[in-house]
Amino acid sequence: MNETPALETRQLVYAVENKTILKGIDLRVEYGEVLGIMGASGSGKTTLLKCLCGLIKPTAGEVWVEGVNIAPLSERERMPLRLRLGIVFQYAALFDFLTVYQNVAFGLERHRRLSQKQIREIVRERLAWVGLEGIENLYPSQLSGGMRKRVGLARALAMDPHIVLFDEPTSGLDPVNAYQIDRLITRLNRELNLTAVVVSHDVTSLMRTSDRIVMVDEGQIIAAGAPADIRASEHPKVQAFLRMASAEAL
Amino acid sequence: MREELVWLDDESARRVSAWQASLEFVGALGLLLFASGRTLLQGRVEGRETVHQMAFIGAASAPIVALTSAFTGAVVTLYSASLLTQAGGGSFVGGAISLAMTRELAPILTGIMVTARCGSAIAAQLGTMKITEQIDALRALAVSPIQYLVIPRVLAALIMFPLLCMIANFAGVLGGWIVANAFGITLNSYLQSIRLLTEPFDLIGGLIKTLAFALIVTLVSCQQGLGTRGGAAGVGHATTRAVVLSMVLIFAANYFLADLLFANR
Repeated sequence: MNETPALETRQLVYAVENKTILKGIDLRVEYGEVLGIMGASGSGKTTLLKCLCGLIKPTAGEVWVEGVNIAPLSERERMPLRLRLGIVFQYAALFDFLTVYQNVAFGLERHRRLSQKQIREIVRERLAWVGLEGIENLYPSQLSGGMRKRVGLARALAMDPHIVLFDEPTSGLDPVNAYQIDRLITRLNRELNLTAVVVSHDVTSLMRTSDRIVMVDEGQIIAAGAPADIRASEHPKVQAFLRMASAEAL
Repeated sequence: MREELVWLDDESARRVSAWQASLEFVGALGLLLFASGRTLLQGRVEGRETVHQMAFIGAASAPIVALTSAFTGAVVTLYSASLLTQAGGGSFVGGAISLAMTRELAPILTGIMVTARCGSAIAAQLGTMKITEQIDALRALAVSPIQYLVIPRVLAALIMFPLLCMIANFAGVLGGWIVANAFGITLNSYLQSIRLLTEPFDLIGGLIKTLAFALIVTLVSCQQGLGTRGGAAGVGHATTRAVVLSMVLIFAANYFLADLLFANR
């Protein structure tokens, strides 16, 4: 295993308006692993994800992306580093004025010196990876929620990132679509050795996809370990969350 | 200068007093102007998007600018021709209309109509992009929202506003002539008084005004859109603020520019 972790945070703090959202998070994501971050709404897990990719500048602490501390960097300095990461947003965040093809090709056209033919080939391939072929000319408004998420993933994968961050990949999806997304994350991790960080409150999905899970509560990590360890955790908040999640699933 | 200061993320949203809000607006607008100027000077321009915006701001606005200017020219002529012909000054009607159009009405009408039509659309589009995380998606793909969204709109407006103003001038003077004709003023007399009373600088000064209006409309609308907080209601508020602030600033800038350009002429 590579000694430098794919992602790491050290004493990460994010505060806004006298409210501390992240309270000294220490997290390490190794290359090739799928790390699940679970927690209730408002626990700070999406803020943590946005700090990891540099979309939010932390108040204090360090965020290391492949050996580079991005916390003190300016927006301009952070931009090229973001190309090492792929981000799949909660509601896909597809550019609604562009077609599926233009969405997936967006980063390639701006950051890679490729011919139109090469870009077409990459777009076709990435859409095939996520099981969506022949929809290049459709607009996001013509797609279902599950398809939008998969196009979002294809867009993130187009730039060949080493790490992909998923924000609530299964929220708002029916069980069949949620299962497809989970399988996709697992398959990409196995076949491409993709490092993934999955933020979700969907316990079933996280248990299915993650090698390791951390639970965030009120801006702090209160439990960490393999899915089986989390299930066996005696921490009352973890137990309560798992019970609630099971009840909700029923 | 931190680019992200131009807009405040949802978590930074807070209740502020009107004074704080005004200071925040001025500060954010200044930062956006600075960041846009720097991006432009670095030559980072999205050509295809700029052409697209030129069509939206310019070509698509031309009919409505022409129509409103023609009616404005007509109604101003209705009052002035009635008064001037009674006072024996019917031969000055053309000049009066062209002077009013070139110096004041055409630039203002261009600014107002484009604010109503495009400023609101810009704020709504960027606001929707903000709340649906499309702005974050742009940043995630290492594309500056200023470079991709703001610069094309500012550039397109700077190019198209003077052209729209020329159309407004022509339509206003034409609308004026149609009414002047009903008052018995001949085309020859109408054109002659235009040549007599209107100088090239009247036209140039009006066009200079439109450049300032172009900056106001696009920067205010982009700033309001990028600063949208909350959901659909937030987009609505941002759109309203973009239109109201743009119009107020256009009228204020118009006064100072009129003083600067025409006070001693």
